[in-house]
Amino acid sequence: MNESLPITCAGETTGSGSLVRAIVAEAAALLAGLAETGETGRIDLAGLPLTEADKAALEELLGAGEVVAEIAVVGRSTVAETGHAGVWWVRHYGSDDRIAAEVLEITRIPEILLSHPADIAAAARRLGDTLGTASAGATDAIKEDRPDAGP
Amino acid sequence: MPAHETLGEMLAARGISRRAFLKYTSWLATLMALPPGMAPAMAEELAKAKRQSVIWLSFQECTGCTESITRSFSPTLEDLIFNFISLDYHHTLQAASGEAAEHAREAAMAENKGKYVVVVDGSVPVKDGGIYSTIAGISNLQMLEETVADSLAVIAVGTCAAYGGIPHANPNPTGAVAISELVKGKPVINIPGCPPIPEAMTGTIAYLLSFGKLPDLDTLGRPLAFFGESIHDRCYRRPFYERGLFAKDFDDEGARSGWCLFEVGCKGPITYNACATLKWNGGVSFPIQSGHGCLGCSEPDFWDKGGFYRPLSTPLRDITPTAAVAAGIGAAAGLAAGALHRAIKKDAAKNHHTVTVDNLEKSS
Ligand code: SF4
Repeated sequence: MNESLPITCAGETTGSGSLVRAIVAEAAALLAGLAETGETGRIDLAGLPLTEADKAALEELLGAGEVVAEIAVVGRSTVAETGHAGVWWVRHYGSDDRIAAEVLEITRIPEILLSHPADIAAAARRLGDTLGTASAGATDAIKEDRPDAGP
Repeated sequence: MPAHETLGEMLAARGISRRAFLKYTSWLATLMALPPGMAPAMAEELAKAKRQSVIWLSFQECTGCTESITRSFSPTLEDLIFNFISLDYHHTLQAASGEAAEHAREAAMAENKGKYVVVVDGSVPVKDGGIYSTIAGISNLQMLEETVADSLAVIAVGTCAAYGGIPHANPNPTGAVAISELVKGKPVINIPGCPPIPEAMTGTIAYLLSFGKLPDLDTLGRPLAFFGESIHDRCYRRPFYERGLFAKDFDDEGARSGWCLFEVGCKGPITYNACATLKWNGGVSFPIQSGHGCLGCSEPDFWDKGGFYRPLSTPLRDITPTAAVAAGIGAAAGLAAGALHRAIKKDAAKNHHTVTVDNLEKSS
């Protein structure tokens, strides 16, 4: 009972390799599914009791890929393809730049990188308006040059 | 914001893309342990929803619950909820006061008849005609009845609203009662805690908005997503509990080594809340991580359980027959083992007799 263990109160620092292996196995199964049927999958990492050491081990196992993207929307998000094509590591940051959600996405491209159709439609309207304003501006400039010119 | 405008249109008008919704629902799915594949569909629903009118009533309370929900100051992921709701009445936060404030409440009730959500923090005193707490010349009881009549649902935030809390503590001089005891015919969701975890409050409101229905609740009306597991279930000190390594005092070797706090009064085994996983102050820590046992603040009558530093107790009589009967009922009603465990310990707590860990183990 008197044995004193070298632990810190702020949470464990050593990881459990079995959880990391289980995640990799699930990712592998989902990736095989994506290759065969095109079906996408997600693994929620924040919901799992992963230590920092576990995460580092998982990152090392999956490796780094070719794509790293940063999204600036209600705080920061990062999307990185791992060394295995189709396995993406998505991190959403909340206040104080703390990770609020962390998901492994098994997909050709994570949905959050795609422009949403509603945003595209709004952007098309806005660009049209900008063009209209720009041409109206041009007309005004001509009018200023030739004050006698009609509308 | 125009009444017909959707949340998607509202954020677009502010130059914020639909990605914000996907990010928000990915976070929500994580918080509520929803299947992660649901996030994109939830994002679509949320973008189509209208801004939710919320009337917040504060009765016998300390404003700690409001402090908790408004903890964050910069516009972040966590604050996005304040764009999704229209807080039409809140004593502490609204600029209007006096009659103008009351008119705001009446106007919101008339405009959103049958569609507004009432959030209540604080208990309601019912003794002596409810005279112990009044606002704008009417008792809390009258204000609650009047406001709830045409509402969609009621969310009781904080332990006082959920169970009566501290005003209800022995000897309860004002006759304080829980909101669920007074509201009939409307769904009541309890989000207890002193204060509740902010994510439990905002997550529940966001769930209502995205799905248009209540989340799954436990027998005490609490969302299972946040209150489905005990602190003890997810406590990082649990390995020490299992091995019988306990701090006996706050400055002994065990405490310094981070051992289990059961014997210095931790109420983690009978407390259902998400502190051990979501933690506090943006995920920094929670009481047990800071070296103090759980007070059990999200459970009924936590104030009257015989002392925060007294170890959990059990009746002197053998608990096995009770457990056996309860097991029969539990099996018949399909009760979870956790609920059974909780019932036994609640019964035990009433008797305030110190027990050993062995005793507790027998009941699980
Ligand atoms: S009794 Fe308290 S400190 Fe010990 S493992 Fe349970 S919740 Fe953690």
